Amino acid sequence: MSTVLEAQGLSIGFAKQEVLRDVNLRVSEGDYWFLLGPNGCGKTSFLRTLLGELVPRSGALILDRERTRRDRIGFVPQRSNVSSTLPTTVREFVSLGSVGIPMTARQRGERLRWALERVNLSGFERRSFDALSGGQRQRALVARALVRRPAFLIADEPTVGLDLPSTEALLDSLSHLNREDGLTILFVTHHLRLARRFGTHFALFDHGLVVAGSADKVLSAENLARAYDLPLEVFQNDSFESQGGLGEGSGP
Amino acid sequence: MIESFVDSWEIFCFSHLTGWVTAVLLALVGVYVVARDQIFVGAAVSQASTLGIAVALALAGWGVVPEHVAPWDTLPAILAVVFSVLAALFSGREGGLGGESHEAVSGWVFLATASLSVLLMAHSPHGLEEIHKLLFSSIIVVRELDFWIVTGLTVGTIALLILYGRPLLLFTMDPAMAAAVGMCTGRWSVLASAWLGLTLGITLKLSGLLYSFGCLVLPALIARHLVREMRSMYLVSPLVALLTAVAGFVIANHQDYPPGQLTVALFAALLGILWTLRKLLSRVTS
Repeated sequence: MSTVLEAQGLSIGFAKQEVLRDVNLRVSEGDYWFLLGPNGCGKTSFLRTLLGELVPRSGALILDRERTRRDRIGFVPQRSNVSSTLPTTVREFVSLGSVGIPMTARQRGERLRWALERVNLSGFERRSFDALSGGQRQRALVARALVRRPAFLIADEPTVGLDLPSTEALLDSLSHLNREDGLTILFVTHHLRLARRFGTHFALFDHGLVVAGSADKVLSAENLARAYDLPLEVFQNDSFESQGGLGEGSGP
Repeated sequence: MIESFVDSWEIFCFSHLTGWVTAVLLALVGVYVVARDQIFVGAAVSQASTLGIAVALALAGWGVVPEHVAPWDTLPAILAVVFSVLAALFSGREGGLGGESHEAVSGWVFLATASLSVLLMAHSPHGLEEIHKLLFSSIIVVRELDFWIVTGLTVGTIALLILYGRPLLLFTMDPAMAAAVGMCTGRWSVLASAWLGLTLGITLKLSGLLYSFGCLVLPALIARHLVREMRSMYLVSPLVALLTAVAGFVIANHQDYPPGQLTVALFAALLGILWTLRKLLSRVTS
């Protein structure tokens, strides 16, 4: 599998504050990465660096020029920033995701149908965005990223505020895209158990450092306890156990 | 009613046409202002434009520049545009200023420029009268050139919307997503603010603060209740502005009312009716 991006000794920060140091990880084509760790540990800063919004302080970030072209990256934010006072339909909301990619109105329509189908929102085109449920809105956000037909999808906690079935459905949709279309995914979440179930690779953000690799290497009880400052364990049989009273799938 | 309006056409045709085209232009720009929830920025920019005119009149009053001598006779128009563009850039900048919200910065600009305009003209009865006329929007005399300038600006605005409508829509609705797809949102913000300043700077000198601000925000607010998609606002808002302004001017001519104020009153009444209908509708459906 060819490399999509590689971080070598990457350091990221704002002004005098260092957020991440010596980050080393390699994302290959078709990988399904989960970025884990407590709030404020630098996951979003890392994504912003990948999107070119932050400049690394030191180290190297090597990007595959073809697979990380702007028009081949899809980005899913935590939640929609569109004000509820603005009138918009699912069709308009999702198709605006293709801004910057030259295409005809027909091609745009085809992509819209494809993207909505992938997230099980077919038939919702004319529905008001404001009238959607929380889970449907998050799926519309994913569709807005998919409408770019990305080779590389970056998702920054799009499962925030979703109940467990909705979260699972969203991750399942992405898993299909990963397996069937070879979509490379970087997904930030606090759902350790679901990450373990769907992911192929993991990066645990731990007090300015990143442990990256396979589940066995990253999701060990020792690593999780150090990162979350709580005794946690993710078992291979899809169950998740907390000895510190942490609820199912929630972050500290 | 129509007959008396037609009779007045020969004398006031450019005033009427300029008033209508101004309404269409500001209603188009107003979609951006309303969608970004920067309504008070519009008021602040309009008021800053008045300060530009007051500064030009004060300079003439102090003898710094000769009055009614070309090119100094165009100084009020030039300073109106310069002050409004500066105010738009200052009030509309991303993330406000020094941690303050857009509302706080716009409020400061509005109050500072309003008080300075009056203070500058306090000892000049003629100047003070000019400022009052601008504040109360008395569209009386415009030149043919003014009409063509406003028309040119409107055509330019429509052309820009056709060329850059989709990225503008994304930037207006969701700047964070616009940045994520590679748009330079800082540059878009500066360009949009500059265009808002230019538009208000030019139109305020012709139609006054009340009419300019009314046409900027009210048709877009009305359109927001009539459409299902944001992009339709760019059609409905100018259409509402044009139809209401035509009706306002015809009624004003017949009843001998000032056309600017009557048009703004009609906009406000329409919006009030829509709010009431919406409230009633939501009660019925719930």
